[in-house]
Amino acid sequence: MAIDWQQYRCEEYHDELFQAAALPRAAAKQLTDYLDSLSTADLAERRLAAELAIKVMGVTFTVYSEGRNVDRAWPFDIIPRVIDRREWEKTEAGLKQRVAALNLFIQDLYGDQKIIKDKVFPAEVLADSVNFRPQCKGMTPPNGIWAHICGSDLVRGGDGTIYVLEDNLRVPSGVSYMLENRLVTKRVFPELFETTNILPVDDYPTQLFDMLAAMSPRPGDDPNIVLLTPGIYNSAYFEHCYLAQQMGIELVEGPDLTVGDDDCVYMRTIYGPRRVDVIYRRIDDLFLDPEAFNPDSVLGVKGLMRAWLKGKVALVNAPGAGVADDKVVYTFVPAMIKYYLGEEAILPNVPSFLCMDPKQRKYVIEHLDELVVKPANESGGYGMLIGPRSTKAEREKFRKLIEANPRNYMAQPTLSLSTAPTITDDGIEPRHLDLRPFILSRGDSTYVTTGGLTRVAMVKNSLVVNSSQGGGSKDTWIVDLENDMDPKSLIQIQSQQKKKNGSAA
Amino acid sequence: MLSRVADNLYWFGRYLQRAENTARVVNVHANLLFDLPRKVQFGWEPLIDIFGADNGFNEHYNEYSEANVVRFLMIDARNQGSIVSSLNSAREILRTTRDHVQREVWEKLNDLYFYVQERGETAVTRSKRQEFLSRIIDGIQLIYGMLVSNMSHDVGFQFLRIGTNLEQADMTTRIIDVRSSNLFSTMSVEDLRPFQNIQWMSVLRSLTAYQMYRRHVRIRVTGASVLRFLLQNREFPRSITFCLNHIAFTLPLLPHNRAIERAVDRTRALVHDANLEKLSESGLHEFVDEIQIGLGAVHEAVQNAYFKV
Repeated sequence: MAIDWQQYRCEEYHDELFQAAALPRAAAKQLTDYLDSLSTADLAERRLAAELAIKVMGVTFTVYSEGRNVDRAWPFDIIPRVIDRREWEKTEAGLKQRVAALNLFIQDLYGDQKIIKDKVFPAEVLADSVNFRPQCKGMTPPNGIWAHICGSDLVRGGDGTIYVLEDNLRVPSGVSYMLENRLVTKRVFPELFETTNILPVDDYPTQLFDMLAAMSPRPGDDPNIVLLTPGIYNSAYFEHCYLAQQMGIELVEGPDLTVGDDDCVYMRTIYGPRRVDVIYRRIDDLFLDPEAFNPDSVLGVKGLMRAWLKGKVALVNAPGAGVADDKVVYTFVPAMIKYYLGEEAILPNVPSFLCMDPKQRKYVIEHLDELVVKPANESGGYGMLIGPRSTKAEREKFRKLIEANPRNYMAQPTLSLSTAPTITDDGIEPRHLDLRPFILSRGDSTYVTTGGLTRVAMVKNSLVVNSSQGGGSKDTWIVDLENDMDPKSLIQIQSQQKKKNGSAA
Repeated sequence: MLSRVADNLYWFGRYLQRAENTARVVNVHANLLFDLPRKVQFGWEPLIDIFGADNGFNEHYNEYSEANVVRFLMIDARNQGSIVSSLNSAREILRTTRDHVQREVWEKLNDLYFYVQERGETAVTRSKRQEFLSRIIDGIQLIYGMLVSNMSHDVGFQFLRIGTNLEQADMTTRIIDVRSSNLFSTMSVEDLRPFQNIQWMSVLRSLTAYQMYRRHVRIRVTGASVLRFLLQNREFPRSITFCLNHIAFTLPLLPHNRAIERAVDRTRALVHDANLEKLSESGLHEFVDEIQIGLGAVHEAVQNAYFKV
């Protein structure tokens, strides 16, 4: 036996696969038993096979540092993260509820602003929002959907509760890695897919395409859908290519598109201009249209906002949706759910302190060494203070930053993020992780990915899971125990496996 | 097909062809020098003329020495037309069109690019150069092979073919132009005789045309017959007529455009009607200029029809 689960120290945090040392959770038992049956050499071989598969499949992400853009192989840990289907269903319902409220909230902000008039949401938070786009006032996009694609980051605390850490409503990325992780795992552990009831994830591109098509301003016709990328120097360019290929749509750049005198959007093809109905844009708002926003943008399309406001083209996500993608606005989501839907939030927020409130600010400043302080509008883990790991000078810097601009900061207690067994150079050890599911909203229905992208901090005790900062990822399994196979068949396969190994040796 | 993607594939074809021809021309030139009499004042300057790169060269170098010229044409990134620049341009294009070209092509091109970067410096010296240039030529031929046999022959592929053929036609005119100008003006007719054919043979060798020429023509190498072969032969893939014919075959597969057809037809007629006996004596340079203007018109017409929508 290569892996000694007795040696796996999981007591300090909530572990995703084990409830106690050597005692796997029900949904993970088949996996851990199987891993148990592998020799050290087997495991190393599987790990190598995964690395090779990633290289051959060309799964990369781009890093800016090191002076130039470099394509790096996607960091991947072969041991999957397992979630019981029953638990996932509840999470899924919570995500749908949350995104429904967020879309109503965005529509309200660009409309009558009832939530402010009813004093549920403070006017000053909106006044200072950097992602509010006055150009969108009075607009109602098709079906009232602004955030068609939402990537919410979920974490599990020490008590096992799943919290929402943030909602990414601008151009959330990572879904291609979720899909590729599954393909790699199928190559590496094909046996497990025979015996364990793992729900499939590969429906996403179809669901995405259907959602995009449903947004077309010319219903009934075969809509022309494109993916608008900032180009090869964007860190998510791999994903842009991947999704365009998977959906069979054109991957376009700003200069490929023009807006005609009829306010319709056209793409330049060798057959002449072709009308575009839906744009899945992976460019930030401010670069979308030099006419409406940043006049220096060369990534965008002149007149695009005009076309969108006239309803001639659908933009996904809608411009201005980012107003709800703000770590201060985030703290009001449970109140929004109550206000718009009359329901209690199914998924809790991480308890948060708002620095704009004098009392809470005082608490934050006095407890900087215990809290995580986040600016309202950064993403990718940048510009944060992680209190327990900070130096005195860093805390002092943040005290000044907070006092200078309290609206821009919020703080949360340092979470003891859950862990899962991960292969490291020192053997199998617990590593912290999070989960980013993707939610597609089209107005008449909502789709949630089966699981999502699990990101793992490969460095011991680190809480930073971003791939740009040394994070890795794992395949995420939603396992259905109720419709499971006879456990005996697994044992059979294992014994065949052992026989094979025996004869080979 | 997006205009940008078509444009990229067209230039991808051109850059590959440019890199390969440059490698051939440099290689053959060295061989030619070995065969010439010592009194012939004939150095490396004509190579710079072939690529019309005098200005760029003089900006960075002050002598047409072998090392300078070879470095400039092979590995100088400041020269837009150097082998390394052409490969780099092709590679940058492939990065943005990787959903249209199979991954193996990207891998092979990457290999080749890194090879040129790593080994280029040593190939400035004669002893390593031949091997270096052969590897480049082989590498590019391998990429062509993969493109032709593995890529769908769809609209995008047709743009790649047009770019490849137009670049080849252009390279052929350049090689004819420079190689055929009178290299031996300083020598008497008597002294010249043994070497008269060497220059025409080197024209053929620059285009890997010598063997095919022999099969087709079966007479000794003369100026007029070499010109006829390189301008008008319908079967040799680097002749100008062949390249233009291939562009013409491709056009019906694309959205119809009269301007391109006219530009191709006009240039084909020009090449076809040339009086080669006379041209081999005088006026060749002016004639080649006319062909190049014609090829330029084809390029313009393609740009206007499909890329500048």
